[in-house]
Amino acid sequence: MNLPLYAKIDLTTGKTESYPISEAYFRTYVGGKALAARLLLDLTPAGLDPFSSESTVIVNTGPLNGTGAPSTSRFNISSKNVLTGGIASSNCGGTFGVMLRRAGYEGLIITGKAEKPCRIDVTDGEIALLDATGLWGLDAEKTQEELPAHLGKLVIGPGGENLVSYAGLASGERMAGRCGIGAVFGSKNIKAVTAYGTRRIPVEKPEEFSRFVKKWVRFLKKHTMTGDSLPHYGSAGLVNKANASHALPTKNFQKGTYEFADDVSGETLAETRLTRNSGCVSCPIRCERRVMIGDKEVKGPEYETLGFFGPNMGAHDLDAIIRLNYVCDILGLDTISAAATIAFAMELNERGIKDFGVKFGDVSNLEEILNRIARREGECSELANGSKWLSEKYGGQDYAMHAKGLEMASYEPRRSVGMGLGYATSNRGGCHLGGGYMALLESVGVLSISPQDTRAKAEWTVFLQDALEAISTAGSCLFSGQTFVPQILFNLGPNHPITRFMGKAAVFTGPVVRLLLAMRPLLRFNTLLLMPHAEALRLVTGIPMYTGSFLDLGDRAYNAERLYNLREGLTGKDDALPRRLTDVPQDESKKNTVVRMDKLLPRYYKTRGWDKDGKPRQRTLKRLEMADLWQA
Amino acid sequence: MAYFITDACTGCTVCAKLCPVCAVSGERGQRHVINEKRCVECGVCANACSQEGITDGEGRVLRKKSRAQWPKPVIKKEECSACQMCVHICTAGAISISLPDTRGSLNVFAEIREPKKCVGCGLCADACPLGIITMEVPAADVTKGGVSS
Repeated sequence: MNLPLYAKIDLTTGKTESYPISEAYFRTYVGGKALAARLLLDLTPAGLDPFSSESTVIVNTGPLNGTGAPSTSRFNISSKNVLTGGIASSNCGGTFGVMLRRAGYEGLIITGKAEKPCRIDVTDGEIALLDATGLWGLDAEKTQEELPAHLGKLVIGPGGENLVSYAGLASGERMAGRCGIGAVFGSKNIKAVTAYGTRRIPVEKPEEFSRFVKKWVRFLKKHTMTGDSLPHYGSAGLVNKANASHALPTKNFQKGTYEFADDVSGETLAETRLTRNSGCVSCPIRCERRVMIGDKEVKGPEYETLGFFGPNMGAHDLDAIIRLNYVCDILGLDTISAAATIAFAMELNERGIKDFGVKFGDVSNLEEILNRIARREGECSELANGSKWLSEKYGGQDYAMHAKGLEMASYEPRRSVGMGLGYATSNRGGCHLGGGYMALLESVGVLSISPQDTRAKAEWTVFLQDALEAISTAGSCLFSGQTFVPQILFNLGPNHPITRFMGKAAVFTGPVVRLLLAMRPLLRFNTLLLMPHAEALRLVTGIPMYTGSFLDLGDRAYNAERLYNLREGLTGKDDALPRRLTDVPQDESKKNTVVRMDKLLPRYYKTRGWDKDGKPRQRTLKRLEMADLWQA
Repeated sequence: MAYFITDACTGCTVCAKLCPVCAVSGERGQRHVINEKRCVECGVCANACSQEGITDGEGRVLRKKSRAQWPKPVIKKEECSACQMCVHICTAGAISISLPDTRGSLNVFAEIREPKKCVGCGLCADACPLGIITMEVPAADVTKGGVSS
């Protein structure tokens, strides 16, 4: 068994040492965000300021990174969350992860603070701390252009340098946007991490694996989501679907539909602006949009960016969104949190509470605003602190659209109540992916599990959260999990009586899902139809990984991150949504268009094996082989 | 075992420029060195060395080959998933994903867009998860090189 090798880097002393991962940890936590959460629990004391010198950031990979399995360039960065004070984990599809493994390490554990701007370079197993004073101040794109082309790169832009609370990291044109880890890098004076090497990435059963990869790629190409819808329209294809289901946040979540939504839809983008589709390295899905800004081809906006710089600001200028997406990327800002914070500021202005120079319907000055946010100039420095901070200073907590401090994504939970539960419980804060992405089964996918009904939502949320968590841990893209939705439903179409019946009937499947979760030890099989990642992990690592143990891995990751949050002072009370979503019906005539957290949350805790305060029970942790983390 | 540069080296820098993994270093006019940790034994340096100053892992001196005799990747484009593993590993920048014929067409594949840049290292073939890239010496050139088929 090839065990992962990590390196520990202390920027204060300049000391680096290798940090081998034990077989027990490898078998239990595997890699990615699961292992990172466990290491953060082990290696850091509680209550640290994320910007303190002692705080630790972990950049790590999953076992599938760089093996050639489809959609497996995703690597993870975890640290303490700047916005929530809990766990931060952010995921990126750039080439850095693959290169880090080729350079000889599966992960880097970085602590301390460099005296001046530095670049951590990993080459052929050797780690060097290099001066990066000349790169400081450059945007993320220019920084990478200045570095040798063949290196894998992970860099921050001005946003991270100036400690913007939602600053992200860039690797190529890919962003690890969420949770403000770019600012943690900035606080440590890390401008860039680079890697290069030619080490062969170990695979335990290479021949079987190679055969499996071919089958998996064929399967992805045949499935409607991964072989047709995502390559044609990208995630942008969700705009019209969300709008039709009243799940497209409009004017800071005041409404769920926008009359000009089609102007910023994936279809319009594909018909009028798209030059071609592309993708992360290793990915046959290729959901990336390529578009032009002047005579330069750049990465196009994702669904969340379209929704948030469009309808959620009461605007529909597609060219402006393309431009703002690019500006956020090179400044190193998370488009979701940046746009959501600005939308909140727009509502503050609309209500006459505070004028930051932004108003609904006008995105013409946002490029300048974003630049000022990234450099913390003038009043925009306040916008750089995120919507939770703003609401604490100026009021408006009821409509500051975040959970735990992290801004929610572009899915209106009042028309997708399972998604609402997901936002509230997601470990890193209001994140659709950490939240289980129930919106896909409620309001933006082929199936529509009654979006207002709370039945079965807690069970499905737990199941999906665990699945997504495990996929992420493996090093795979979550989109590769979309083949979980049976192809037959796409063949029938969303309006076919059978599809509609299944959506309606699914609200009675709660006990079935709970039974499935209880039967995990018996699920000792792998199938392409459910979790192809489990089989890939088994062949690559030699760990006996099956559908059941794969779900256990996700559950373990979820609980480890939860324990980190609890240790840092978050409680069950933080599993909450702004009152706009829980108390104010989206549609005045339909009283049920709210998220009934009072109904959803207790069942969610029960399904998770947590007590009524949202704390994992001892027996739950014991079942997950992490009893050593239990504290009375 | 990595390749090795013998004292026949005149420091012409050709191998350093062509090495697809930047494993060769040295000053012009000085004997060059191969970083053995980095070397992937692709043979590009030996194919190009006019001094025949490179030995393989077993110490055999390798012969220079004319550029026409360097192997070239052949991609089965109809089976390609355009995953870009080959594009990413090709430091020479010879491979790209083809451009769609019409807007929105998904029928794209990896192609040798810049054949002159290809050094024949075979890293693309090695990286291809589907195993649909093979390294072949161009047929016409085989005849020219005087090797019977």
